[in-house]
Amino acid sequence: MTQYIAELLRRARLLLMRDRATRELEEEMQLHRALRADAITKSGVAQHEAEHAASRRFGNRTRIAEESRDMWGFARIDRFTQDLRYAVRRVTTRPGFALSVVAVLALGIGATTAMFSAVDAAMLRPLPFARPSELVGLGGVQVPFDPGPQARRFESSHLIELPDVNGMRDLFTSAAAYAAGGLNLDDDNNPQRIKVGVVTVDFFRTLGVMPHLGRTFDAAEGVPNGPAVAILSWELWQGQYGARDMLNHVIHLNGKPFTVVGVMPRRFSFPDQSQLWIPMSVPTTFATFESFRGFLPSRVVARLTPSVSVAAASQRMLARWEQKIAAADSAARRQYTLNGTVAELKQRGAAVALQQELVGDRKRALTVLLGATGLLLLIACANATNLLLSQAASRRREIAVREVLGATRARIIRQLLTESVILALAGTTLGLLLAPLLLSVMRSLLPNALVGVAPATVNLRVLAFAACLALVTGIAFGLWPAFGTTRRAPGEVIKAGGGHGTTGTGGRARRVLVTVELALTVMLLVGAGLMLRSFAQIMGVDRGMRTDHVGTLEIAFPNGPNQQQPRIAKYHDLLARVSAIPGVESAGLVNDLPLGTGGGIAISVDVPGAPPPKNGEPAFARYLIASGGYFRTMGIKLARGRTFTENDGNPGKPVAIISETMAKEFWPNQDPIGRTYKLNSSDTLPITVVGVVADVRERSLDSDPYSQMYFPVEAHYPSNVALVARSTLPAPVLLRHLTEAMRAVDPRQAVFHVRMMDDVVGASVASRRTNTMLIALFALVATILAALGVYAVVAYGVAQRTREFGIRAALGATGRNLVVLVSRDMLWTSFAGIGAGLVGAWLLARVIASMLYGVEMHDIATFIAVPLLLFVPTALATLIPARRTLRVNPAEVIRSD
Amino acid sequence: MTRDPIPPGTLEMLILRTLASRGELHGFQIAEAIQHASADVLQVEEGSLYPALQRMLVKGWLVGQWGRTEENRRARYYRVTALGTRELEREMAAYRRVAHAIARILQPA
Repeated sequence: MTQYIAELLRRARLLLMRDRATRELEEEMQLHRALRADAITKSGVAQHEAEHAASRRFGNRTRIAEESRDMWGFARIDRFTQDLRYAVRRVTTRPGFALSVVAVLALGIGATTAMFSAVDAAMLRPLPFARPSELVGLGGVQVPFDPGPQARRFESSHLIELPDVNGMRDLFTSAAAYAAGGLNLDDDNNPQRIKVGVVTVDFFRTLGVMPHLGRTFDAAEGVPNGPAVAILSWELWQGQYGARDMLNHVIHLNGKPFTVVGVMPRRFSFPDQSQLWIPMSVPTTFATFESFRGFLPSRVVARLTPSVSVAAASQRMLARWEQKIAAADSAARRQYTLNGTVAELKQRGAAVALQQELVGDRKRALTVLLGATGLLLLIACANATNLLLSQAASRRREIAVREVLGATRARIIRQLLTESVILALAGTTLGLLLAPLLLSVMRSLLPNALVGVAPATVNLRVLAFAACLALVTGIAFGLWPAFGTTRRAPGEVIKAGGGHGTTGTGGRARRVLVTVELALTVMLLVGAGLMLRSFAQIMGVDRGMRTDHVGTLEIAFPNGPNQQQPRIAKYHDLLARVSAIPGVESAGLVNDLPLGTGGGIAISVDVPGAPPPKNGEPAFARYLIASGGYFRTMGIKLARGRTFTENDGNPGKPVAIISETMAKEFWPNQDPIGRTYKLNSSDTLPITVVGVVADVRERSLDSDPYSQMYFPVEAHYPSNVALVARSTLPAPVLLRHLTEAMRAVDPRQAVFHVRMMDDVVGASVASRRTNTMLIALFALVATILAALGVYAVVAYGVAQRTREFGIRAALGATGRNLVVLVSRDMLWTSFAGIGAGLVGAWLLARVIASMLYGVEMHDIATFIAVPLLLFVPTALATLIPARRTLRVNPAEVIRSD
Repeated sequence: MTRDPIPPGTLEMLILRTLASRGELHGFQIAEAIQHASADVLQVEEGSLYPALQRMLVKGWLVGQWGRTEENRRARYYRVTALGTRELEREMAAYRRVAHAIARILQPA
């Protein structure tokens, strides 16, 4: 042990006194050669020759000195700093070259890093809950519903329900249901719309999250008509209440009092960026859904017992579902669409890791984009390699000289690699600066369910990823040139003179790289083309409505007994005020704004004499409530009959307007006007159809509308409504007028989602648009890089062969001949690259098939357009440098040698 | 005259042995001594002595001391330390074992 310490001390001393030690070593070796030369002279050889002989016997001085210094043990550090200094010097003396490599890499690395941050947030980073790997989502599991004593009681034991899951102690330690909705936080100073988590009392325990202050919900709060309590998020507590003591204070949500019992810790906002949580009773009642337009889809999350895997739990849950089916009679199977539920669970898994469930269908889009950035990075690397290769060729002579002077091949390769890694690091740094920009564009790609839970940021893991990228790319694009440059015998290189080859050494290597670049670019372009065509298809699809020049805002009126007549009065008051605004053509109300929340309910209907449903499942129709002016305002065409009037509120004579699809489904080849039907869920009077309107794409632009039915607001008086108004006024003016109109009706009423209808449409396709835009952007960058690659190869070839062209010109070659000579190779290279890319794209198209809309994955137009599109920049990048041969002056060239 | 290159790894042993028997020597003297002792059969690329010497200095087997040659030129004289003596014994023992083993294999039975 002491030996090692002593040795270390000796090494340290040498490091500190390195200059002196180096001098001493040099002196010693000098003496050795002098003494040897003396000895040889004594044997009668001339002084001059003796010195040579002594040198030969001694060996390569530089190498020996270096090997000796290596023995001091700091060789690695030493050599590294040397290489670094050398590399920095080389890089800074050629700023143009360095900048182009760095810029090319920054694009590739920036894009890849940003995509990786998104993927990291969505799929890699564990959810911020206790032991997140134990949490699973249980599909199909219902929260029991109690419709109250008057209604027909549903016998729902055919489904697995939350209390059943709570009983499965062998699989789950606990389970809870949660849903996300919006409520008005009534506050005299600052009324606002907030996001609310509606959760069963076991929710926080299941996730393993403890409150920051106070407590979570207790069992008494989880029963119907239990105490009205609420838990605040840390952020709401800080922002709305200035962090003052809120425990046991009463706040009002949609006009109802709730007692605050707790505050959650900072940054906890699950589900869906909740700002506040209220209990969901088990069973749920009508009261549960009242404030949420009857639409509050819940999910069930459970914590596995530690010994059970997700797969095992899923399998055993599925087995229980199958038992349920076996026990149910055929009527019940139809009623609860049990077969469908089980088929879906079989496909998706009856228990799915919570993270996977939250990421949902965005997983593919994210993976595809990460793949696209990977392609882009490859192209960037190929480009950087290309640039380095052309540099390497001109450095061959310098390197040969260094080799002759005693540098080993490994050392030279290491030096060249240091240089490329430095370039890669610079590229990465710049890329990291670009990444957040790109990331902010990408946010809409992240699954909504994850936005608050796992925000995408450039974190340590992402930085580590980027650092790895830098090293790998640096070595990847530097290795080939480094080996290539050192392969030939140094003597040969020096003798050859360099720079006067006829074909340009390394030309083939660079053409291979360009082929690869073009092939990858074609693949990206085809992907972009298919996505762009899909997007155009979606935006061009018949929406069944006109969304331009329509302003909208949403209102949640107080809900409670005896509120219905005042609410109807408010509708009419509001519509009258809005219609009176100069410049407003028409106004209307609807319960669910098309493309707005992405949700809504459908109700099972009973149409006498209708054809039997195809799959044996009950017939449903979308339940919409609108005022008469809604159809005109939204440009929804009336096909037959009439729209609503204010007199349609008569409860003795219920009426409905149906969509064309509904008309076709239930009254094929008949005129539905004047026909009647009933809703299955309640014992209402027969409903008379008074009008047929166009189908409206209200779930999303890319899903076919199903049967829709509209009821008059006067008869169904929804508490949550969206106001729509068509006007030629500028958007901000119109929206301000709409807000003011509502304030004039009731100054205490909060309004939210104040926006233009076109923005609603935009938001509904935001993730697809981002997706498409990014792929298109990547493809564009790839095209530019590929064109630059082509340009560099041709330009370099021309520069290298100047002498040859001069001679050819002198021998009578025309300028045209020379241009053809230079371009021909590159044209074949382009054909090869583009062809290979088309084959690759044809095979890869399957990957994005599920993301396409209205376009075949092997869309012929795209597969024809892409090569043509790419051919133009490639041809330009070839011809521009090729034309330089025209300027070659034969006399000048030949004389210059 | 052909000379055999020195087997790898044995250079340090030869240096230690030379210094152990001859006391303080500078680099050139060590090279000459090895050649003489081996009756000019072994050839050292003379420069390769120096990396070996530096390594042995770091290992603490040798110490170097600057002095003057007979012609009054500055030279570094090397001397074996106690640690170096032990190292030499160990290497010699190892060498003998190996040489013995090889000899037994090569001898006709």
